Amino acid sequence: MWKVSSIKNILKTILILIIFIIIFILLNMLLKPKYATTLVEGSMIAEYYDEPKDHEVIFIGDCEVYANFSPMVMYEEEGIKAYVRGSSQQLIWQSYYILKETLTYEIPKVVVLNVNSMRYDKESSQVSEAYNRLTIDNMKWSKEKIEIIKESMTEDETLISYIFPILRYHSRYDELTSEDFEYLFKDKKNTYNGFLVNKNVKPLGNLPIKRNLANYEFSEECYGYLDKITNLCKENNIKLVLIKAPSLYPYWYDEYDEQMEEYAKQKGIDYYNLVEEIENIGLDYSQDTYDGGLHLNLQGATKLSEYFAKILVENYNLTNFHGDAVYDEKLENYKKDIQD
Amino acid sequence: MNFLLLVLSIIIYASYGLSNFIYIGFSLLSTFIVARYLNKENKNRKLVLAGTIVLNTAILVFVKFLPYTNINILAPLGISYYTLQVISYLVDVYKGKYEYEKNLLNYALFIMYIPHLFIGPISRYEDMKKELLAKRKITLDNILNGGIRILWGLSKKLIIAGRTGIVIETITSNNSSGGYALLAMFLYSIELYSDFSGGIDIVLGISRMLGINLVENFDAPYYSQNIKEFWRRWHISLSSWLRDYIYIPLGGSRCSKLRKSINVIITFAVSGLWHGANYIVWGIIHGIFVIFGDSYKTKFKWLNRLVNFVIVSFLWSFFIWNGTTEALKMMLSVFTNFNIQEVTQNILNLGLTGADWIVLAVSTLILFIYDGNKIKIMEKTKNISKNTKLALICTFALIVLTFGIYGIGFNVNEFIYSRF
Repeated sequence: MWKVSSIKNILKTILILIIFIIIFILLNMLLKPKYATTLVEGSMIAEYYDEPKDHEVIFIGDCEVYANFSPMVMYEEEGIKAYVRGSSQQLIWQSYYILKETLTYEIPKVVVLNVNSMRYDKESSQVSEAYNRLTIDNMKWSKEKIEIIKESMTEDETLISYIFPILRYHSRYDELTSEDFEYLFKDKKNTYNGFLVNKNVKPLGNLPIKRNLANYEFSEECYGYLDKITNLCKENNIKLVLIKAPSLYPYWYDEYDEQMEEYAKQKGIDYYNLVEEIENIGLDYSQDTYDGGLHLNLQGATKLSEYFAKILVENYNLTNFHGDAVYDEKLENYKKDIQD
Repeated sequence: MNFLLLVLSIIIYASYGLSNFIYIGFSLLSTFIVARYLNKENKNRKLVLAGTIVLNTAILVFVKFLPYTNINILAPLGISYYTLQVISYLVDVYKGKYEYEKNLLNYALFIMYIPHLFIGPISRYEDMKKELLAKRKITLDNILNGGIRILWGLSKKLIIAGRTGIVIETITSNNSSGGYALLAMFLYSIELYSDFSGGIDIVLGISRMLGINLVENFDAPYYSQNIKEFWRRWHISLSSWLRDYIYIPLGGSRCSKLRKSINVIITFAVSGLWHGANYIVWGIIHGIFVIFGDSYKTKFKWLNRLVNFVIVSFLWSFFIWNGTTEALKMMLSVFTNFNIQEVTQNILNLGLTGADWIVLAVSTLILFIYDGNKIKIMEKTKNISKNTKLALICTFALIVLTFGIYGIGFNVNEFIYSRF
């Protein structure tokens, strides 16, 4: 028989360990950036988890999708239920894992992939820890999250610092603000089905000179991930649509366009270079952009979303969900918010 | 268990480069074999001893001068530590203090026991043999005690040394002098102590977990009232080695005043050389302060400590700046360009935030209070329960994780003293 004192000691040990684990978890949560009011791009990936998973269209890609496509406009116009799973500088291998993760929640009819990231492979200077964190930090733990971390990590990064954010963010102890406590247990919703509203206007100015590149060819590595995305969609009976969003900079060279055309033709995929459709969309870069031609503002995104929604309904046999109570309410909130 | 320890040590040592084995292998085998021929019947034993010591020392000196040559070889890990260990072993066997070691595995473990190869302490064979050959068990109590020691060391290294290192790096890379140089000297005193003693705490903690008690290497050095006392409290294993194997053989203090002074200077010059060819002047100046140590001692304990801290800090200049001339220039600049107002105005531009400075000040204060009351604290806490120890470990771990300086851009594996 165990003595009472031994049992007491064991209970004390367990209590100490539990307290330690709780404080450790809380510290991890507290020190991790909340991306609630600043750098909100870091919160977007996580917003998806709270959404009803009945989308027929999923957008995947970098800032050119979350800034340019408004699912609420698409719902209003054509009754489409869409969601943008975009994140800052989302690289092609990240798009693959984000899509893979999305498919564990739902199987949409159409996946729209912005191919801007085809120009960046793992050797590119665009691969950075800061962007990795914005995409990955707030993903839910899953097999896909482990894979995306492993594929994305820069030389200095470690998997363990993603598992325990305190290892990366401990130096934030002196930067903590009320936001860190306010959003300790909850997240702030910043997007409308993944669309990040920006109402500012910064007309197109002087863009950098369009320089000739030494090499225009997309790398084998990027094609490899694009193939994976293509196969994943095929396996799940999803129509993959490749797009290049109508951003004026960084330049989408003709050579890039040709390669995507060729790829789409080979794989039997639709590809829309929307840079060439600027006039048809009705974009006016003296008022439809918030940063001089890189991204569209609310007005520009509304025009593009209306235009693209038509393409989607005309070509991909989508359901018209008009009258859906949840989406009607979302739309109402969206309209109210963008007027404020 | 010893065999396992040896295998583990060899694997870790090998991970730092297989070529290291040539050096350590030579020292290990040469001294293991030679020790057998140091018995009194051997007429040439003095010559054999001298030859082996000269050979091993020559390798160490060669390595110490490597940075000043065009030879592109990395110094073997731990050479400064194990060379002194093998010399002390040979001399002790020669003097008949103990029998030579017959078991190569035991001897190899004495030399290659990996925790102490990075930053010491410089163990003596009789101490290590007692610990290594004793029937020891890995107990929960040892694990907890070792864990506390490791985390205490990590706190010093990551919370204090990490922060001071940033400021010193900023000052030296900007080539700032005067008040900045003075700040760097004081902070380096704290950094070197926290880094080195923190590292030793980790080594002692790991050893404790394995049931091995290594010798202590520090005894509150900044509580010393003069340089002589400082060297009884700082890097004790090196100081005592120098005393036993350099100072005393030279004649020690049982000779004329002049001879004694020369012995002290030689001993400290060797100490400087052990740190590197660049530090001989530093060693000699320490020697001079040891000789005249009592002459500037007052009856005020705290004043003596303060003066000693200032002297030690100034002399660390040889470690902060590259080259003797640069170090002397910086020391001089404190008097010629005492821009203290500028320093205080720029205090937040030296790499640390206000909160960092507060953390640094509070943690340094805790370290010094602990140092000054170590015996009392040890006495009061010796019977604390296992659960209290566990709670201490958890608390330390959370503090280190939150306030430590580590992560991208910081190399926490590197200890200042592992360079020597």
